Amino acid sequence: MAIAKAERLMNLALCLLGTRRPLSKRELRESLEAYLEAGSDDSFNRMFERDKDDLRELGLVIETVESLDGEIGYLARRDSNRLPPITLDAEEAAALGLAAKVWQQARLAGAASGALQKLRAAGLPEDVDPYEPHSALEPRIPVHEAAFEPLMLACRDRRPVGFDYRKANAAQPEPRHVEPWALECWRGHWYLAGFDRDRGAERVFRLSRITGRVRSRGGRFTAPVPDVVTVRETVASWAGETADRSARIRLRSGAGYPLRAKATAVRELGDGWDELEIPYGHGLDAWLVEFGPDVVVLEPAELRADVVDRLRAVAKG
Amino acid sequence: MAGKPVRAVNAIDQTRRMLSLVTYLRERPGARIEDVARAFGITEDELVSDLDVLPMCGTSFRGGDLLDIDTDGERIWWHNPAALGADAAEPLRLAADEATALLVAARAVATLPGLRESDRQALLRATAKVETSAGEAAGASSRLSVTFESEGGVFADVDRAISERRRLWIRYYSPARDEVTEREIDPIRLVSVGHTYVEAWCRRSEARRTFRLDRVAEIRILDEPSAPPEVELRDLSEGLVQPAAEDPEVVVEVGPGGRWVAEYYPHDSAEELPDGGLRITLRTPEPASLRRLALRLGRDGRIVSPPELAASARHAAREALAAYDGIEPAGATAGPAGGPHDRQERGL
Repeated sequence: MAIAKAERLMNLALCLLGTRRPLSKRELRESLEAYLEAGSDDSFNRMFERDKDDLRELGLVIETVESLDGEIGYLARRDSNRLPPITLDAEEAAALGLAAKVWQQARLAGAASGALQKLRAAGLPEDVDPYEPHSALEPRIPVHEAAFEPLMLACRDRRPVGFDYRKANAAQPEPRHVEPWALECWRGHWYLAGFDRDRGAERVFRLSRITGRVRSRGGRFTAPVPDVVTVRETVASWAGETADRSARIRLRSGAGYPLRAKATAVRELGDGWDELEIPYGHGLDAWLVEFGPDVVVLEPAELRADVVDRLRAVAKG
Repeated sequence: MAGKPVRAVNAIDQTRRMLSLVTYLRERPGARIEDVARAFGITEDELVSDLDVLPMCGTSFRGGDLLDIDTDGERIWWHNPAALGADAAEPLRLAADEATALLVAARAVATLPGLRESDRQALLRATAKVETSAGEAAGASSRLSVTFESEGGVFADVDRAISERRRLWIRYYSPARDEVTEREIDPIRLVSVGHTYVEAWCRRSEARRTFRLDRVAEIRILDEPSAPPEVELRDLSEGLVQPAAEDPEVVVEVGPGGRWVAEYYPHDSAEELPDGGLRITLRTPEPASLRRLALRLGRDGRIVSPPELAASARHAAREALAAYDGIEPAGATAGPAGGPHDRQERGL
C-alpha cells in the first residue's frame, strides 16, 4: 500500500532527523506504529532494512553508529543532510522549471520534481509558474528502452552488467559483459558506452538492441574509466557522418534535396540533370539507392559497383 | 495539459515530497492549497492526499506530538510547528538521482540552439549554482547526457513566429515523395523528441502537420497573423508518428541485415522468421512512400504486399540500372555493402 508505506517512511525519516543521539533498532521499533504491527522479528528486520535503503535512495544520509556496549544505532545528522545555501533569482527558477519537466521516464521525472521541490522548500522564487509553458519550446527526453533504468543505476553505482545484445545485422543475440560508463541520448535513441570484457575494449551499444533483462554482476570495474566518454562520435561514424572521401554523382534536377544540402559542389548539366560532389562515408551506397533512377553514381568505381549491386538485388525482386 | 511532467505515484516520491512540504509549510502559515500545489508541481488532489498522511507523522520517538496540520479546503494550517523542531525542518540536500535528473536535463536544454539567449544564460547560472549546492551528489550526473538537435536559424524563426503569433512560409522537404514543396503554416508549438519539430496548422492541406526542422529548406516570417484553429494538443510521448487504423497495411520481410526496420518504423507486429529475419506489418497513409525503403533494403528484404508497391520498387531499380549499362558487374565486392550499423532514420 503506497499510503501506508509513505507514512512509515515519513515517520522513520522524521525520527532519524529529529534525534540528537543514535537510536537503536529496538527504540525505533517501539516508536513507529507500523513497526509495532510488523509481527515477527524477521518481518520487522526486512521492513526496516528496506525502509533505510529507500530513504537513502531519496538522499537521506543515515549514519550507523556502534555504541560502547556494541549496540548499533542510527541517525540522520542535520549537518550532513542540510542543503547548502543556494539563492536563485526568478529567471533562474523559471529556467530550472522548464528543465525539470523534460524527462519522460518515471524515475527521472520523479527525481527532477523532487529536486525542484527541495529547492522550493529552500526558497526558490515562485513568481513565474514553472509548469506553464515558458517558451514555445517543449523539449522532451524520450526513454522507451526497458534497459535504460537498470543501466542508469549501474552507471551511477559503477557496477558491471551482463545482457544479451543483438547486433544490427545478427539473427541471434549474444551475451555481453560490460563495465558501463555512460549513457547518451542522441537523435532520440539511447546508447551505452563501456568496457566490453569479452572483447577487452571500449564499445558502444544501442539500448534498443538489448534483448531481455540487464543483469547486475558482482565485483568492481577492471578497466579504468576514461575522463571523457564520447558516444556521439562513435554513433556518427556508424551513421556515415564521418566521411573521409568524396563522390561524384548525377542527380535529376529538382530531386534529392538532402543530397543537394550536403553537396560541396553542384554544377548544372542543362539536360535535366545536375552533377554533385558529395561526402562519401559509410552507408552512402544504401542512401543513394533510395533515390532510384534519379541518381547515377559517376565515381569512385567502388561506390558505383556497390550501388549497382544493390539495384540488381531489388530488380530481381 | 501537454506540459505536465510524468509522475509516478509511489511511496518514495511521496515521502520525498512530504519532507519538502513540511519545511515549506512551516514558513508559510495559512498557505493556500492552490499556491502550494502549483509551487510543488502537483495537483490539488495530490496535495490533499499528502495532507491526509502528515497528521499521522511526527518524531514520535521522543513522545513528541504528531504534526497537527489541517486544511479548510482552501488554506493549510499547522497548529504546532514546534513539534518538528527547527532542526528537523531544514531543506534537505539533493540526492544523487535528483541532482542527476535536474542537471542532465538543464544541460540538455541549454544546448538547444533556439533557446532565447537570456533563458540560456539564466539556465547556465542556475546549473552552476545547483552543481555547487549538490556537491558530491552532482558527480554521477556526468554519466548521463542528452543532445537535442535542432537547426538554429530555422528554430529561432519558428520560435519568434510563435511568440509574435505570425504565419510562416516554408519550403519543406518530404522524403516520402522526394520533393520540396512550398506552404504557409500557422505554428502551434516546438517539440524536441530526438529531432526538433514544429507542430502547425498547414494552410495548404488545412490540417495539423508536424514538420521536422532539419527538413525545412527555407523559411520566412510573414506579416499575416497566425490563426491556427483551436486544436487539442496531442500527447506526443508515444512518438510523433501514430498511424491510423484505417491506413493501408504493408508487409515487409527482412533478413537479419534488415532488422533495423523494426527499430525505425512504428509497426503493428514483427514476427521472427526461421532465418533470423522478421516479417513486419505496418500501416501508413501512403504506401508508395515506402518505395524508398524497398530500394534501400536491397538484398536485405523485400515488400510482400501490396504487390503494386513491390512492382514499383523493381521497376525503379531496373530503370536506374539502365543508366549503368556497360558497367562491369560488382563481382567480388558484392556483399552487404551497408555494413552492420547501416543507418536508417528516414522513417523519423
